[in-house]
Amino acid sequence: MLPLANILARPLRTTVSVLAVGVGVALFLVLVGLTSMLDEIARRTTQVEAHLMVWPASDQVVVSGGLPADKVERDLESIAGVEHAIPVLRWPFKMAGRVQNVYGIRPEDWRYFASADQIVDGRALAGGAEMVIDARLAAAGPYRVGQTVERWGHAFRIVGIAKEGVAGRVFMPIDTVGEALQQTDRRASFFYVRVTDPASVAAVREAIRERGLNVFTLEEFYDVLASSFVDMDLVIGSVVFVAGFVCFLVILLTVYTMVIERTREIGILKGIGASRAQVFGLVLAEAGLIAGAGIVAGFLLTWGGKALVLHLQPLWTVEIPPVRYLLAALLAAGGTLLGAAQPAARAARQDPVESLRYE
Amino acid sequence: MAPILETRSLVKVYRADGVETPALRGVDLAVEAGEFVAIMGPSGCGKSTLLYLVGLLATPTEGTVRLDGRDAAALGDGERTRLRRRHIGYVFQRFNLLGTLSAEENVALPLRLRGERPGAAPHDMLRAVGLEEKRRRRPNQLSVGEQQRVAIARALVTRPTVLLADEPTGNLDSEASDRVMDLVGRLHRDTGQAIVLITHNRQVADRADRLIRMHDGRFVDA
Repeated sequence: MLPLANILARPLRTTVSVLAVGVGVALFLVLVGLTSMLDEIARRTTQVEAHLMVWPASDQVVVSGGLPADKVERDLESIAGVEHAIPVLRWPFKMAGRVQNVYGIRPEDWRYFASADQIVDGRALAGGAEMVIDARLAAAGPYRVGQTVERWGHAFRIVGIAKEGVAGRVFMPIDTVGEALQQTDRRASFFYVRVTDPASVAAVREAIRERGLNVFTLEEFYDVLASSFVDMDLVIGSVVFVAGFVCFLVILLTVYTMVIERTREIGILKGIGASRAQVFGLVLAEAGLIAGAGIVAGFLLTWGGKALVLHLQPLWTVEIPPVRYLLAALLAAGGTLLGAAQPAARAARQDPVESLRYE
Repeated sequence: MAPILETRSLVKVYRADGVETPALRGVDLAVEAGEFVAIMGPSGCGKSTLLYLVGLLATPTEGTVRLDGRDAAALGDGERTRLRRRHIGYVFQRFNLLGTLSAEENVALPLRLRGERPGAAPHDMLRAVGLEEKRRRRPNQLSVGEQQRVAIARALVTRPTVLLADEPTGNLDSEASDRVMDLVGRLHRDTGQAIVLITHNRQVADRADRLIRMHDGRFVDA
């Protein structure tokens, strides 16, 4: 009764405090949610029916290079235990306002990247100047089957749309990409390698390494890709920390002001029988109500912020699992109560006589 | 029978920035159950300080306060609070209602602080002070006389054995003052609690069973 009445008595200050908590919650959720974009890329990249990835030794992991595709393929397939080597020529290609990594693959290798039922519209690659895109890119474009996209002086026809989650957002025949890039021989940025028996992965991997190539299991590659964005995680973590600290200070100041402003009221409460614990609890209850409203506001802001981000950048990923909401709520509640603890303790310690004399 | 409220050699010295200001210089007071005692004296003579001490809101520099036979000095903070809740009703000079609550919610507050469900008691108390119709109003929607009647209802809702009233008519005109004192007198007759009332007003003091005059931190006659 009293805590609610008190916070409603100062609607502007309460609103600002609730928004401070809400913005902190939303910043935490949206920014941390944005890091899922990196995870989503890493996850997609490894969603291939293969066991190993082979990269040119001199290349960095995320930069495509140029291995002589046919020679390396033959070499890889000559290793005991290798079932198939799948060359991929990756090259940047702008669609939907953003640079996409085109996966140049042999049409017959499509089955390793997606099953037949993963084509939601049109068909898989057959050859020539055509492309298959994923549903996310199709929605972001928007693009539809039959539409033609012109790049590099060529016109590429969209022949199929695949479910979101396949390794690349854009697939083209590897030879088509090579021709567009005016390559004289078939090149590959990297290879996926399937082994006949998963138990032989270690041996195959060692044999590939002996050939001077970089080789990763898909799990390792996922980790390498995810950890390559560690600096961004640090930046986002710093922003989240600053946002949380600012919220903490806003709450501290708000509750401190509330306590000073109500010095006389605290004296009255003690005069009519309130104990120290009850005064402490009263102040914390007010802070708790602000925290609760702030958490709800934060969830709404998160929903709005996520929608805005995805509206402005449809190809970004903002994944916020329920446990993150719980964590955000706990952090906000903890920060708010921590910010309120000192003013609440001050209120509880107040001398009732001095409080009653306070003007 | 032992007095419900008793002080012995009560001394209170305020200290601030190295300066000592004596407010009470050895006060002995005994109030019997159901007795109505008025205390008069000039401003600054220590009346309010005495009320704070017997109301267990402050601790004496020297001397003892016994409430319902218990020595307040021997009690911890929590026990003192519980003793105050059980025995003391407080009416402040400036009404001191909580502005964010309605009249009824203000009256319910002491019961809530005792951990009790208010039930019909606040409503009944407001009816007793003639404010049943205005129970949902906030203090700023009531006249000063009405606010004081709400404060009296709040002080009495827990059925305390001692009502402490610090110049309850100090901010009221004579008509409102009479009405409030009529009410105090009626409630005193009906409920029988002891009253210690501070006033500057001789007419108000004359309603008490006993009048004590204070000067410079001491009782000068009783």
